[in-house]
Formats: sequence, structure tokens, C-alpha cells
Amino acid sequence: MKKVTYFPGCSAHGTSEEFDMTVKMVMKSLDVQMEEIPDWNCCGATSAHSLSETLAYALPLRNLVLAEKLDNATMAIPCASCYQRLKVTKVHMDDNPELARKINSTVIDEGTYKGKVAVKSMLQYCYEDIGLEAIKSKVTKSLAGMKLACYYGCLLTRPKNITHFDSPEYPMSMDHIVEALGAKATEFDYKTECCGASFSISDTEVVINLSSQILEMARESGAHAIVVACPLCQSNLDMRQPDIEKHTGKKINLPIFYFTQLMALAFGMSQKDMMFNKHIVPVEGALANIGKIEPEPEKVKKPRKAVEAESEVE
Amino acid sequence: MARVGVFVCFCGANIADFVDVPKVVEEAKRIREVKFAIDYKYMCSDPGQQQIRDAITQYRLTSIVVAACSPRMHEKTFRKALSDAGMNPYLLEVANIREHSSWVHQKDKKAATEKASDLVRMAVAKSIANEQLHEISVPVTKRALVIGGGIAGIQAALDIADARIPVVLVEKSPSIGGKMAQLDETFPTLDCSQCILTPKMVDVASHPYIELIPYAEVLELEGFVGNYKAKIRKKASYVNFKTCTGCGTCWQKCPVKVPNEYNMGIDKRKAIYTPFPQAVPNKPVIDAAHCTMLTKGKCGICAKVCEKGSIDYKMQDEIIEREIGAVVVATGYDLWDPKPYEEYGVGRFKDIITSLEFERMVSANGPTNGVPVRPSDGKVPKNVVFIKCIGSRDEAKGIEYCSKICCMYTTKHTILLHHKVHDSHAYVFYMDIRAAGKGYEEFVKKAQVDTAATYLRGRVSKIYKKGDKLIVRGEDAQIGQVVEVVADLVVLATAVIPPKDNPDLARLLGVSYDKYGYMSEAHPKLRPVETAKAGIFLAGCTQAPKDIPDTVAQASACAAKVCGIFSGDTMKKDPMISTVNNEYCTGCQNCVKVCPYGAIVTEEVPMGHGSKEMRTVAKINEGVCQGCGSCVAVCRSMAISLAGFTDLQIINEIVSI
Repeated sequence: MKKVTYFPGCSAHGTSEEFDMTVKMVMKSLDVQMEEIPDWNCCGATSAHSLSETLAYALPLRNLVLAEKLDNATMAIPCASCYQRLKVTKVHMDDNPELARKINSTVIDEGTYKGKVAVKSMLQYCYEDIGLEAIKSKVTKSLAGMKLACYYGCLLTRPKNITHFDSPEYPMSMDHIVEALGAKATEFDYKTECCGASFSISDTEVVINLSSQILEMARESGAHAIVVACPLCQSNLDMRQPDIEKHTGKKINLPIFYFTQLMALAFGMSQKDMMFNKHIVPVEGALANIGKIEPEPEKVKKPRKAVEAESEVE
Repeated sequence: MARVGVFVCFCGANIADFVDVPKVVEEAKRIREVKFAIDYKYMCSDPGQQQIRDAITQYRLTSIVVAACSPRMHEKTFRKALSDAGMNPYLLEVANIREHSSWVHQKDKKAATEKASDLVRMAVAKSIANEQLHEISVPVTKRALVIGGGIAGIQAALDIADARIPVVLVEKSPSIGGKMAQLDETFPTLDCSQCILTPKMVDVASHPYIELIPYAEVLELEGFVGNYKAKIRKKASYVNFKTCTGCGTCWQKCPVKVPNEYNMGIDKRKAIYTPFPQAVPNKPVIDAAHCTMLTKGKCGICAKVCEKGSIDYKMQDEIIEREIGAVVVATGYDLWDPKPYEEYGVGRFKDIITSLEFERMVSANGPTNGVPVRPSDGKVPKNVVFIKCIGSRDEAKGIEYCSKICCMYTTKHTILLHHKVHDSHAYVFYMDIRAAGKGYEEFVKKAQVDTAATYLRGRVSKIYKKGDKLIVRGEDAQIGQVVEVVADLVVLATAVIPPKDNPDLARLLGVSYDKYGYMSEAHPKLRPVETAKAGIFLAGCTQAPKDIPDTVAQASACAAKVCGIFSGDTMKKDPMISTVNNEYCTGCQNCVKVCPYGAIVTEEVPMGHGSKEMRTVAKINEGVCQGCGSCVAVCRSMAISLAGFTDLQIINEIVSI
């Protein structure tokens, strides 16, 4: 049995309850025991780092210090913003012991930061620590027939020198995971464009603009649905979709899944627990594609000279 | 007892306005060893020099101090004056009271005068310990080695050979020609590259004074200026060049296809090949990595069809040696791999190509017969986006410097596109247009009018695919907005970088190189052709990115330098070099490590007189030593001495003030 420290973040208890729920289901099925950080606090996003450097570091650092009390090597975080704040803090503290001491003094009651817990996003944890083989082995109901556009958003792989995970511009880890589940990942050039993030509240127009382009490109890629690993991406693309449709006058109708929801689905778990009822865009249409496999166009093999085939280097 | 003469110069007003020259003379006269001291308006003039010559005989002087300008200016002049009077020229000492005193202390005449007197005192003290030195004469092997057969190497080799000096030209690939042979037309005149280059290539091959060694590399270089010995590896070509007629039957019949380097991999060549039809020498080589006869022992077709029996699968690499006197390094450049531009989809989108790939496509002898096509579907592109500074001026992903040639060749490419595809449209994303050069700005202006290309000042942030088009999103900084261009083809002007093995070659030659891997010139302004190592010169992009005119100019300059070295049978060399006192040398070899010229080696000497046991001591190669004194500074047993700057001379200087 694997053990991992879990930092749910505030959205897991609200808008992304279905992410939290499916993460727990999937981890249990994969034989991973999750230990939630006791008495964790807000990561500070996005207000803290716009206002005070000390606060922006101190809030995540308290969580990092608390996490060290659990005896796990790795912490997995479902929310991209929480992940970003904790990872930035960890990297900066590890690089600059002087700064670490200074910030640590503000939360010294909780203990001294040692930097021994690795910070990973839930996507990174699934991809690196659990692995595609383990995921594949749990699939009982293949998602074959589904075409999915994997959307990573702006934070999961950026900046490269902080995250050290996947490509900052064209990541593939989530694509590999959904393909392990049997689905087909589409070629989707907008997978790291910004969805508008928290402008959803302060300047909705921005989100309508940016998210509509992402949805349109996903639709053009031939996807039946979009897969995400970030609560804010999910809520922007899903919740704002009716507004976007009204704004552009085009029907989009792309449900937005968390990748863990699809894992749970492929693992043969009950759809009821996946909380599809919380989605704004209905999921049924997209899910109906499961099992509808298009026949692959037969490849015509070109006869080649034996020698050429052997040594041609492409 | 030393008898020193002191000659203080007014340098017109340069010294006299700020230094009390008669006072300096008066002070000098108070020094015990000074038997004669005088001032004069211009000591460097003939009457000035005459005073020195007269005083030498009249006062039987044993050393001379001239207090004037920098020795860099007139040391040679005054040394000659000493020689003319029958005195050893190295008994001269120059006290620099102009640059070191009058010019820098113009506000305080008293202090400047005192400092000038101090400088004279030091020079007098030093000169007392001056020894008679004699110029070193080094024999010269009059043969030059040119490394690299691109336009730089070709030009240098031809210029040297035309002066009837034998040249060994070593080229690593099977043909000379280099990058220029891959170009279609050249800016700013749109001369056909092949038409101006290939005659020169033929001249190289037929020149009686040039020994062309293709498909070879330099392994070792030993010795010093005028007396180098180079070890060269001739790679096995598996073809006997002596009997091969270059008929081409072998490569027509060869069944193995390999991506063609000459055409940037756009088409295929065979495993036995000449790089291009105009290759010099026009003899094929077998690519051992891909030939199935050599890798698996199967095939052998080329040997069967060769009427001359020139194919030899058992051929081995051959090491040859050449004695040479000077080296011209002309290894050219490589192009930066744009893979880090992930946001452009480099590697994912087939229709993003590099400028050299575009160049090959629009070339008359290119893989697409001179018509640009999209690699994805073979269609002729209508909208082509050119993006400059890919890797250049990019500290985050590439290198800091400007590659210098991309602005111009991109302009050329817009013209070539316009010529080849009449209804096409070019878009150019640029940071700046750097068109400094004869006729360059005019070329850019004319191209902009003639082709009606759209120039967008700003960087491209993303390229994505929509249908079969590429959407190029970038900033148009002049309107302050993000723009998107629908493109059929995107061409990246990738940065010029030094060849990957340049640092290895530099170390092998004993030449310094910069942080990028370019070889370093001796002085960025005044010695741009020489390296810090005597007798080794740089031509073309091996030193820094440059275009064809600059490259050719530098190559010819190299030739002039080489011919200068070879102008006599021996070379005169300054005697101010280091010597090792074997009695004191402990063999620690610290001097070997610090010598910037690789002038110090070790030798074995007997432990004592008649002893059979040996010990290691340092040995200085007087041909290579430049007299910098680094070895003297690190020698902890004071075994090394620099002629003209002995410990005694330096201590005398210090004690005198």
C-alpha cells in the first residue's frame, strides 16, 4: 500500500466536490492511502501573492511544515492554484535558506521547515508515482470510442523551472492517462491557454472570451468532451459555457470532466458517486460515445525493397 | 660601475605643460649612476635621437633611460637609436611619463613632476641590471594548414597558394564548399551562390600549390609558429580516389537510401554518395553507418558495378603527418536547433521549417526543383510567415548575441518566395531590422517595396493548427495589438552557433574560445585575425557570425598574415622570454598549467652531474613563449626568469622608490 499526503484545498469542499470525491475513490481502488494534512489552511491564492510577499509564502509554508509531521515523502494536490502556491513556496524556500528562516519565523509555532516533502499536483502524482501501467490494470470498462481534449490550463506545468513536470507548452501526461483508460486524446493546441481563471468573478467578459476560444478549438479537434485537472478550469469551461453559447450564438455542448471522474468511470465504479449531476453541461451525450468505435482506415502497405526497408533511417 | 644616460622628452606640450621637465632632469642628475641627463622638445625626432647616439659614445654609457611616451609608441624607435650607436638595443628602458603622469595628472603639476621623477628613478634602477639580449631566430616551414573547406577556407587557401606557398586544406566532409554551396542566391546582389563558388572550388582542386585532403580531420598539432607538425586522420572513404572516375554508376545502383544532409534531409541520398553534383572532389564516399555491406556484410552492388574496381570495403582510416608553419582555422558554423520553441509546435507541425531548409527548396538544384512546398502535403504555399531571431537575442531559450545574417537572408527569402510563387505573400515577424553593410539597407527597402511583404514588429507567442493551416499569433508592437496570421508555411530564422566540436579543436590547437564556443581573436579591434597563439589565424564564422563578404575579407587577411610569417627563411622573435634554471626547478609544473600559450613542456634531466637517475623539470619552447611572465609569478622556487624583467630588475625598481 502506497501512502500520500493530501492537501484538498478549499475548492474540494465546494465547487470541485466531484474532483475530491473521485480522487478519493480512485486512490482507494489503486491501493493508495491518502492522509489529509491536519488543520490545513488556505494556500493564499490569488489574493495573497498580489498583496504581500510574506503572506504569499507564509500561508503555504504553514501547510508544508504541517505536512512534514506526516511521515510521507510526497504531497498530492488536486487544485492547480494550491499546487502552484505550495510548489513555488517550496522551491523558493529550498533555494534560499535565509528567506526560509525569515518566513518560517512567522509560523514557527507549527515547527521548523525542513523541505523533505515533495509537492506534486494530483495529475503529476498519478502519472509519475502511480504510473500508466497501474492505471491500465484497473480499467474494467474501457472508454474506447470517446475522443477527449485534455486541457491543462496555465499552472500545472508552468513555469518549467518551478514545476519540473511535463512540457510547459504541449504537455502529454493527461493525454497518456486518458489513453490508458481506452479513450482517444485529440490533438489540441489550446491545451495550455489561459481560461481566464479568477476573472470569472471580477471581469466575466475576459473569461467568456478566453474560454470560448478553448472550447471552440476543443470542438474543432473532434473531441466529445474536455478533460481537466484544475477546479477553476472546470468551473470556467463548464459554468460559463451557456453564457459563451449565448455570446457566440454557437452551440458547443462539451462536458468538462475531471480526469479522476473518467478514471473512476473506467475502473467500473458507480456513476452516481461521480456526481455528474453537478455538471452544468450534461454529460450523457458525450458518454454515449463509449463503445462506438470507428473502424480504423485500413493501411495500404507499400511494397518496398528489402534492403531499403532495413536500413532507411527516418 | 653602471653609467646611465637619461633623456627626458617635452613631447611638445604634452608632457612639458604638466610636468616640470628641467626639474626631472635635475632630479635624475642626483642619481649616482646617472652620468648624463638632458631634456629635448621631441626626443623621437632625428635631432633627439642624435643626442642619444652622441651621448652614448661621448660618456661611454652602459644603459639608456628615455622618459617620454608609452613604450608601445616609440620603444622600437629608441632601440634602433641604440643599435645605430653600436649599443645592444635591449639596454634601453622607457619611463612612461606621458600616459602615466602628465596626461593623467593635469591638475597638479607638482605631483606630476614628482611622479615623473619617480618613474625615471625606477627606470634607471631597472636599467642598471639590464642585460644584453639578442633577437631569437626561428626557422620556418613554409607550408600552411587550412582547416575547413567552406568559403573562408577556400579563399584563404587560394590567396596563400597564389603567393606560391604550399597549402594543406583539410575538410571534414567529402566535398569542399561548406554552407555556401547550399545557398541559392546571395544577398544583397542576388548573385547565384553556386556560380560564384564552384569555380573557386575547382581552382582549389587544380591549384599546384594546394593539397586538398577531403573527408579528414586534424587530430594533433604540435610545435610552435613556423614549426608545427599536424597529425591528420583521413577517414576511410572505401573508394580509391586515384582510380575512381566519378562516373556515378555506384550511387545510381546503390539500393540504400539515407536522408540527404545537403538538402537538409528533405530528400534522400544513397549510402555511397557525393554530397552534391558539383562536389569537389567529385568522388563518392561510402557512408559506413548506413552501407549494408559494411554493417551487415550484405549487398556489394557498388563493387560489382564499378568498372574501375575502385571500391575497397576493407579500407581503413589513415593517419598522415604534415609539417607546417602556420594555421588558418575556418570551421564555419552550425544552426541552432529550434526544439525549445515548444509554443510554436516545433517538431509537431511539419510545415514549420528552418531557413536553410527553405533555402534548399528554393534552390535551383534543390530537392523540389526550386519551388517551395509544404512538407505535410507537398502543396505550394501561398502565405508564408518568416520569424526572425529564433534562438538569437534570446537569453531564455537560446543565446544572447545577434546572429548578424538572418535579417538579410530573410529579406532575400521574401524575394525568392516572390520570384518562385508569384501569388504568394510573405509576413516577417522581426525584433529589429539590422541591415548594416554595403548595399544592405537599400536591399531591404527595395525588397519591401517589390515583394509587398508585411513586416510585423514583434515576437510570435504561439503557433497552432486550424485545419491544414498554421495560425501564427504574435504581437504587432507598432499597433500594440495581438495579431494572428493564417500561414501555409512557417520559416524560422534559426541562430548561427559555432560547430559543436569547435571547443575541442580550439583546445587541440591551443587557441582560446569564448563561452559560446567561438574561437577568440587576439584583440577584438586591432588583431581580429590572429589568435593569442602565434601562427594560428581565424577566418569566417569560427570566430563569430558573419556574412560572406566579411568572411572572405577575413580569409584574405589571414592569407596576408600567413604570407608575412613566410616572408623570410627564419623568423625574428623578441628575446624577452622565460628561461628555466634547472638547478632550482622542482618539477611542480605549476607553470605548465598557467601558461596561456602552451609554451611549457617538461623534460627529464639527470639528478646531478653524471647521475643516471632522472628528474622532471620544466622546459620552455622559445618559439612559442610570448614573455607574459605568468610562469615567473607562479614559480615557487624562483627557477624561472623572464629576460628583460628579471627579479633583480623588478626589485631594483621597487627599492629605488
